[in-house]
Amino acid sequence: MAEVDQFLSKKVADRYLKREVLGEGTYGVVYKAIDTKTGQTVAIKKIRLGKQKEGVNFTALREIKLLKELKDPNIIELTEAFPHKGNLHLVFEFMETDLEAVIRDRNIVLSPADIKSYIHMTLKGLAFCHRKWVLHRDMKPNNLLIGPNGQLKLADFGLARLFGSPDRRFTHQVFARWYRAPELLFGAKQYGSGVDVWAAACIFAELLLRRPFLQGNSDIDQLGKIFAAFGTPKPSQWPDLVHLPDYVEYQYVPAQPMRTLFPMASDDTLDLLSKMFTYDPKARISAQQALEHRYFSSIPLATEPALLPRPPPKRESVNSKVPDFNPGDGPTVLSPPRKQRRVMPHREGFDLNAQQMDEHGNENRQTAAGEKSGQAPMSLDFSVFGMRPPTRPTMNSADKSHLKRKLDLEFQLPEED
Amino acid sequence: MAANFWTSSHYKQLLDPEDVDVVHQMDKDRGITLEDFKLIKLHMANYIARLAQHVKVRQRVVATAITYMRRVYVRRSMTDCDPRLVAPTCLYLASKAEESTVQARLLVFYIKKLYSDEKFRYEIKEILEMEMKVLEALNYYLVVFHPYRALSHSEIVMIDLIIFHYFSICCIQSNGSLKMMIFFYYSTVVLNRGLVNDTYKMDLILIHPPHLIALACIYIASAQMDKENTAWFEELRVDMNVVKNIAMEILDFYDNHKLITDDKVNAAMMKLAR
Repeated sequence: MAEVDQFLSKKVADRYLKREVLGEGTYGVVYKAIDTKTGQTVAIKKIRLGKQKEGVNFTALREIKLLKELKDPNIIELTEAFPHKGNLHLVFEFMETDLEAVIRDRNIVLSPADIKSYIHMTLKGLAFCHRKWVLHRDMKPNNLLIGPNGQLKLADFGLARLFGSPDRRFTHQVFARWYRAPELLFGAKQYGSGVDVWAAACIFAELLLRRPFLQGNSDIDQLGKIFAAFGTPKPSQWPDLVHLPDYVEYQYVPAQPMRTLFPMASDDTLDLLSKMFTYDPKARISAQQALEHRYFSSIPLATEPALLPRPPPKRESVNSKVPDFNPGDGPTVLSPPRKQRRVMPHREGFDLNAQQMDEHGNENRQTAAGEKSGQAPMSLDFSVFGMRPPTRPTMNSADKSHLKRKLDLEFQLPEED
Repeated sequence: MAANFWTSSHYKQLLDPEDVDVVHQMDKDRGITLEDFKLIKLHMANYIARLAQHVKVRQRVVATAITYMRRVYVRRSMTDCDPRLVAPTCLYLASKAEESTVQARLLVFYIKKLYSDEKFRYEIKEILEMEMKVLEALNYYLVVFHPYRALSHSEIVMIDLIIFHYFSICCIQSNGSLKMMIFFYYSTVVLNRGLVNDTYKMDLILIHPPHLIALACIYIASAQMDKENTAWFEELRVDMNVVKNIAMEILDFYDNHKLITDDKVNAAMMKLAR
């Protein structure tokens, strides 16, 4: 440790040796640190209290509240929380990369067994949340972090909340659009764990296709994309549909056969996918039932997490003064970062790309691996058409103002110190 | 099914009465007795409820706030953390944790409106600083289960998860005599509601699982209404001795409550210097 010490500027709360900044979230900075008690690398989220006059950030408080109750191998571990110099610090286990980085890395080949493993861990984490009556509400590949042993863990519980009180009305403006269930797009205020299952199905499809499956560019378009794939829902398929607040009639389109949508997938895969993509949330398979589906017991069996393909270690950070503590690690995509303003450690050489992204009018939320694939940024499907993959939408500003009204505090712009 | 209470932090944190009824040394030095300690907590529970009426939050938020306040004084002394600051801070924190945020400035506004006493007056900054201390004292555990429930429509809709658990036990145990139970519930629900609120005037929520507190309330209510319910209780897979003990404790509290005078409360509060 002495060797490391000489590089260190700060020790936090007498226990953590502060290292480089990993990213910036909506409510604070995330940095890497070494826990001197255990020698382990951790990620620390420093929650700015600033001058907002509203104390501990609402989103952060949600995350603390729920993660203190959720201890599971497939859920990010909040190991400690402590105040330091007037700011609240949350200590998380350190995660190397995320599923989005895996999906986007074109050097990685995902076998059916690998996909099974990733989706299995995703559903396990989700089933655990639902057993504890927690809705995640922001399932997407880059909230699924991957640890040193290939363990996939659900992270970012800033939108999550307890359910199990069916008379409570929730906001439907949750999830990044591409992962939003049809009932949410139709404005449902009372919904359940089915919304997370739909998002998990989108992630499943994304693992198979290696591109986001349903890429709508507005809420209306998102429904259009869903219907174009699975057909306009018939009343027999989804009796409650017409009662949803924002229900509008869509022109009839027939469903495409699942086989056409996912040409390479096995029959079991298609069966499970179609059950997870069921329109009627009441009829949609639960995460626990999905885990019991024969897809998971049939050959090929899921790959051991430690053997899963992951993005290769990234080159040493230019501004890092400290030698990498764990050489051989994958890209440092952090635990659990907020997407909107993720810091990109090697911005150089990526600026052009970043600029183009900005022109696209979207928030730039490339992961470290995404940057690396700057050399070959397009997925197969898009290269065919000579198009760049559209950037993933997070919640748009309209959503935010809606949420802000709902939550009052949540998306206040932080005052710059 | 809803086995979550049994793995929750709330369940793991349940305490023995001996651990709750401890006056911290610093408070003892100020002459605060166990009786004063309980009295101040009762007074603060009432303070929270009163404040909550003005800022208009759900009963659930009040219950959580009072639970936070009581938990704080298991770990912290009143000398260290002034109850007159801890109480509104707990309400503020609970409103956030229960997803119905109240702005700190609104609380400060109503505190000033309600209390002319200088000792109650705290500013936003002090509440926010205390929020951090309260979080620490709670060890960041914020999920609290309560013995409330709600019935609506024709189906059972539970406000609280624990009641769901409790109901699922009932359903299994009583071979589907659910309708009867719902009827039973309706007939006692109004009375129960007042009873349940009153349980927060004691430390019961720190000591017993909420469904046993709920059962104790039903037990008292049904006894008061002369309902024959022995069979009903026997069908539940719970230790009825514990339920009866809780019920006795509640009844004792009602008896003692009559003896509490403003003078006694004021005398206890006087021992808290600022």
